[in-house]
Amino acid sequence: MSLEIHKKAFSFIIRDLVLQTSYKFEFFLRLFFMFFSILTFYFIAKLIGGAGVHYLEPYGGDYFSFVLIGIAFSGYLTTALRGFSESIRGEQMMGTLEAMLVTPTNTSTIITLSSLWSFIFTSFRVLIYLLIGAFLLGVDMSNANLVAAMVILILTIICFSSIGIISASFIMILKRGDPINMLFMSTSELFGGVLFPITVLPGWLQNVSHILPITYSLSGMRHALLQGYSLHALAPDITALAVFTVVLVPLGLLAFKYAVKKAKVDGTIVQY
Amino acid sequence: MEYSIETHDLTKKFALQKGFTEFLMHPFRKDEITAVEKVNIRIGKGELFGILGPNGAGKTTLIKLLCTLILPTEGIAYVNGYNIAEDSGDVRESIGFITTDERSFYWRLTGRQNLKFFASLHNFYSYDAQKKVDELLNIVGLKNRADDRFLSYSTGMKQRMAIARGLLNNPEVVFMDEPTKGLDPRTAQNLRGFVKERIVKEQGKTVFLSTHHLGEAEQLCDRIAIIDEGEIRVIGSPEELKSTLDKTNPTLDDVFLHYTGKEFKEEGTPKQPYLGRRRMMHGGHGRLGGMMH
Repeated sequence: MSLEIHKKAFSFIIRDLVLQTSYKFEFFLRLFFMFFSILTFYFIAKLIGGAGVHYLEPYGGDYFSFVLIGIAFSGYLTTALRGFSESIRGEQMMGTLEAMLVTPTNTSTIITLSSLWSFIFTSFRVLIYLLIGAFLLGVDMSNANLVAAMVILILTIICFSSIGIISASFIMILKRGDPINMLFMSTSELFGGVLFPITVLPGWLQNVSHILPITYSLSGMRHALLQGYSLHALAPDITALAVFTVVLVPLGLLAFKYAVKKAKVDGTIVQY
Repeated sequence: MEYSIETHDLTKKFALQKGFTEFLMHPFRKDEITAVEKVNIRIGKGELFGILGPNGAGKTTLIKLLCTLILPTEGIAYVNGYNIAEDSGDVRESIGFITTDERSFYWRLTGRQNLKFFASLHNFYSYDAQKKVDELLNIVGLKNRADDRFLSYSTGMKQRMAIARGLLNNPEVVFMDEPTKGLDPRTAQNLRGFVKERIVKEQGKTVFLSTHHLGEAEQLCDRIAIIDEGEIRVIGSPEELKSTLDKTNPTLDDVFLHYTGKEFKEEGTPKQPYLGRRRMMHGGHGRLGGMMH
């Protein structure tokens, strides 16, 4: 008998919700300080005004709308890169990992479900960002194609999660100093089009952008939410994300399987 | 005869972590330590089997091998008929693991929330989990405190929670790693009574218990294996072990001294230092059991 995955997922969510809300002050602080980063970019956008409109034209011409989508959805990459490895490390440090690993639930399910709460919290944060942007700060999303945005979002989460699982595999073995996390975290903000369009970069640097999934994810999301592109018009971004997904999902699963086996051979699975 | 646990030359070696100088001097040399060496044991159904040895003897490593938390280097073992390396999921489905590490719970969740969470990992549906959790809380005498946070529990209560968690899936074999560690004598005595009367006699479970407490091993166990430097030195019932000595009124201390050449201090640290001769560098195979702590 194996409990359906969604029921186990529900147990993990309840566990993390109770744990999170047991630190009430931290929970509200995190929500409160979200406003600060949004407002910072709002005033930067005000300062920039019409400058750079040439670069922003494909996204509607408004910098604040551009950057709001960038910072909101790049949160998924941060969560994916940190969520899995932090959940392993957190359980190792708390001492609860071993107790979970002697249950019939397999290791990859435990690690995946342990990071579920981070994704839920990120989604909640994205929603707050978008609501504040749309209702308080004048971001126009009246033409948004929500179905297309959802397709991009699903592909984004799967694709980023695969990178996060590869990152977690390194953590499982190395404990610290995961190169995948460092590589993607340091390159994505600069080359991924989070804060400015990649067309600002010199041509040879744009080549780097084209090998990062976040580039296609943010481009697709902006076109879907700000300009209401159809699925057909978004085909280049969707195809690129799909290719990344097809490559990265099996790679992530293989890497994690290898890492768990190696940690079990080395006897380091619960060490940190 | 069908055995609950059966091992054949079960061995676990760990690669030694190299220091920076050592790494530069000999980058390709593989130094290993042996934590468990060629362990052969057979434990029958319903038996309360104790593994006795000082800290670092290899007890915890042996338990972790049998619970599938680590993989053996050589040899093979079966728990409830399942191969620990190949059928690890089946092994875990049929065992309970009771650890003394109180950090293995979520301190900010209540006792009930903790047990319900672990019940879901054991594939319990919500209603069944609720029933099982209530039943176990009743058995371990924590029903009245079930909705208090784990952090408010005493050490003895935390230990009882660990027992309740270890019995969630109604396992055929229960592993207990030093279950009375850190408990006051009275609570420890109660716990021993609980293990012997409720878990073994009433429920008929096989218990594999590690201890570095001679009195506990003698009082509880049907048979004892003395382990030292990763090797099983002798196996038998307390009386059998004592009868092997040519001495009037021998104690388990005498047995331990006879088979290991070391005196046994109750808190588990042998009186004479021995780490130096166990650790063989330069590509050799020293032994350092229990390095998993």
